Amino acid sequence: MQVQSMFFKQRAREKLEDPLLQGNLRKAKGKFVDGRAKAVAEFGVWEEVRTHAAKVRDRALANLDAYLLEFEAHATRRGAVVHWAQTAEEACAIIVGIARDNGVRKATKSKSMVSEEVGLNEALEAAGVQVVETDLGEYILQLAHEPPSHIVAPAVHKSKEQVADLFVAAHGKPRLTEIPAMAREAREALRGHFLTADMGISGSNFLVAETGTTLTVTNEGNADMVTTIPRIHVVITGIEKVIGTMEDFATLIRLLPRSAVGQSIANYLTLTTGPKMPGDADGPEQMHIVLVDAGRTKLLGGPMQEMLRCIRCGACMNHCPVYQNVGGHAYGWVYPGPMGSILTPVYVGLENAGDLPNAATFCGECAVACPVKIPLPDLMRKLREQQFDRRLRPWPERWGIALWSFAAMRPGLYAFGTRIAARVARWMGGREGLIHALPGLDGWTKGRDMPAPAGRTFRELYRQRRGNHG
Amino acid sequence: MGARENILARIRRAQGRPGSGPTDAERAAVREAIARHEVGPQPPFAHAPDRLAQFLKECDRLGTTHDVLDSDARIPAALARYLDAGGLERRVTGWEAFAALDWAGAGIAFDNRPASGEDRTGLTGCFCAIAETGTALLLSAPAMPKVTALLPETHVLVVRRARLLDTMEEAFALLRAEVGDPPRAVFFVSGPSRTADIEQTIVIGAHGPYRVHVIVLES
Amino acid sequence: MKVGLFVTCLVDLSRPGIGFAALRLLEGAGCEVVVPAEQTCCGQPGYNSGGRDIAKALARKVLAEFRDCDYVVAPSGSCSGQMKVATVHDLFRDEPDLPEFERLAAKWYELSQFLVEVLKVEAVPGRFEGTVTYHDSCSGLRELGVKMQPRYLLQMAGASIAEMEGAERCCGFGGTFSVKLGDISTRMCEGKCESVRATGAGAIVGGDLGCLLNIEGRLRRTGDRETKVLHFAQVIAGEG
Repeated sequence: MQVQSMFFKQRAREKLEDPLLQGNLRKAKGKFVDGRAKAVAEFGVWEEVRTHAAKVRDRALANLDAYLLEFEAHATRRGAVVHWAQTAEEACAIIVGIARDNGVRKATKSKSMVSEEVGLNEALEAAGVQVVETDLGEYILQLAHEPPSHIVAPAVHKSKEQVADLFVAAHGKPRLTEIPAMAREAREALRGHFLTADMGISGSNFLVAETGTTLTVTNEGNADMVTTIPRIHVVITGIEKVIGTMEDFATLIRLLPRSAVGQSIANYLTLTTGPKMPGDADGPEQMHIVLVDAGRTKLLGGPMQEMLRCIRCGACMNHCPVYQNVGGHAYGWVYPGPMGSILTPVYVGLENAGDLPNAATFCGECAVACPVKIPLPDLMRKLREQQFDRRLRPWPERWGIALWSFAAMRPGLYAFGTRIAARVARWMGGREGLIHALPGLDGWTKGRDMPAPAGRTFRELYRQRRGNHG
Repeated sequence: MGARENILARIRRAQGRPGSGPTDAERAAVREAIARHEVGPQPPFAHAPDRLAQFLKECDRLGTTHDVLDSDARIPAALARYLDAGGLERRVTGWEAFAALDWAGAGIAFDNRPASGEDRTGLTGCFCAIAETGTALLLSAPAMPKVTALLPETHVLVVRRARLLDTMEEAFALLRAEVGDPPRAVFFVSGPSRTADIEQTIVIGAHGPYRVHVIVLES
Repeated sequence: MKVGLFVTCLVDLSRPGIGFAALRLLEGAGCEVVVPAEQTCCGQPGYNSGGRDIAKALARKVLAEFRDCDYVVAPSGSCSGQMKVATVHDLFRDEPDLPEFERLAAKWYELSQFLVEVLKVEAVPGRFEGTVTYHDSCSGLRELGVKMQPRYLLQMAGASIAEMEGAERCCGFGGTFSVKLGDISTRMCEGKCESVRATGAGAIVGGDLGCLLNIEGRLRRTGDRETKVLHFAQVIAGEG
């Protein structure tokens, strides 16, 4: 997918001024946050399970190569073909190759963020394969020619009126006004595709090393159609998704739907191991699993490794006040919100996504909500440290910090400087004590006044008071 | 070197471990860790004193309707009542395990074959069920087509009381004990399919069934 | 008991009254308060801008200034979070002086926590007639667990509290964020101001001056000259 993250500031500003989007975001916000809070409250042992989940993920990541080989050995034993892709291009080439070799004309897809990362739809379409997204949200966006704005609820930025318009154009039927009717119309439009596709493409929420199993978690049931009906099943997923056992999955699935939308369980959990077995009533003839690196190994081996625990629940963005106000498209790539502010700079280059690690107040809500205890603000700060060391931030910012720290280490100079600053700013504040514009700080004063200082610093007054008293 | 070798080498380099792939000792350690099948902490309600009550409570939350019967022979009549109450056609496509029941006696046309997109009601059994979440576990096997649980608008699911377990971990242990390697598809169904992709409004009946009806058999 | 007052750079520069309120509260409760004259800043702006070495140098400076105190108290959850959490969990985790920072962290308190949990005050000098709403600043709330303490103290002063919707939601300040991404910051702050207005309270009270300047700046820009914006120390010390 095309990276637009270098334009975050400008895109965010546009999103803030888009009244339709603002309305849609406001509607969504409460549902995610309240739903999760309720599910967590009635769960009883949330912290214990979170801690165990983080351990389970860390264990696999600490020996990632051995876990991947274990997974590969079992998947292969069961008849799946395991492919490895270092880059987005390699991943697309592998899947286009499978499609070509098997004369695939139509592929149905269930939601896969990795496929968005590598631009799989575009690659398949260029090779003459019709690709049909079957998750309702992804289907809506395919009709709208837009990327997802949320990793769990991809079309969260669209209103039902916007969906109704898209459906009229695509289905040629009378305009609908009710959401259940829209869902039914999409079901009917997609049913034929499910039954006629040659290839089904899914992601995999986890890879189970012990058995070579891939798995999908959905509410709609579309992934089950995609992995069961077509003659070829292709799984595309990241190398970090591997876990040890089915028991590890049982732990993680207690957290995933609760964190995502406040559900105790997703409606369909489908664990798929290999292609159709002799005598099976259904299932694909071929199963291919494409394991994608595309930047993941860059996170390994240091403090950033914790990011690879991520189970893609979306809780961090749901709870992020920045995301809540600008929506997912402002972030300019596949992954929005706090997790995206870490993954995007690492995957596409810090120089291409410089504002993202800074798009946070470090309020900490994401770290509290994360089911696998990723210290998201700390990792964003690590990226800021890299920017600082590589001098990637604009010069006024760098000089400002340098000047301030130079003074803060020299109390005499600092006292003198603040004494002047307090007086000048007091004077600028005038009779009301409010500064309406401040050179260099227009980011603040554009939308807010700066309450002026009292005029004398605490240290001056304290010294004076001490002097008077003795 | 191919992509596979490059990725494995990159992992080791990043993590400061020598060599181009895991050592025998590392692989053995991973296999040992896996073989322990460590079970994590579970919520208190996962081990409810009344397992059936917990299961039915979760079914209610999911929008799964239910009926408790004392023998297989009662399934056709109970199903006829369910279909009539919902204004549904008295035609059922189901697994072979149920073909021998007296369907004609209950006035139901029974088709013993995998369901297609045209079929309205699908009848399946399950490998086991899980009380913690109101979930049924289905396995792919010659006489147990998964499509029957998926394509019809109504899915009727038979759960035997003796196969009702507390947790998913117990289900996996039972699967290992009775089947060994997991079959191609291990499929957990929890209530009717749904979507909230338009305005985060929950709509029942996305691509899978609109209705899931569980029949618990005491026998 | 010898208590060091860490004034904080924002209070020093902008609202010295908050520092004197803290001083009055501590002395009133019988503490011997020292205010090291060399103190400047805890280093958080550098830390959050990626300047790790700057943050470490300033933290060491703070450590040296307060080494002799039995306790250190700051009228800020944010600076307290920097000195209690960031130092021991990150900055000095692999440094030889970690034990010293652990000792400092253990004796460092945010003002309301110190008053309630250590001094266990049962009365405050200030009187406040009327209704206030309380904004929970992020660091104090999520890093230190400051939640009920300031409310308890405000009620001691006679204030009644009208809770706003989303009291725990960030006001959009975020230090340099408020300037670097001013548009988003302003919008977040507007959300906070809407919540404040909806309570009908005559004052918005908080425990971190950064948030308070942000909220006050937005209220005034949007024409609200009435709603008071106060640090809880001012209210309970009777200097509001």
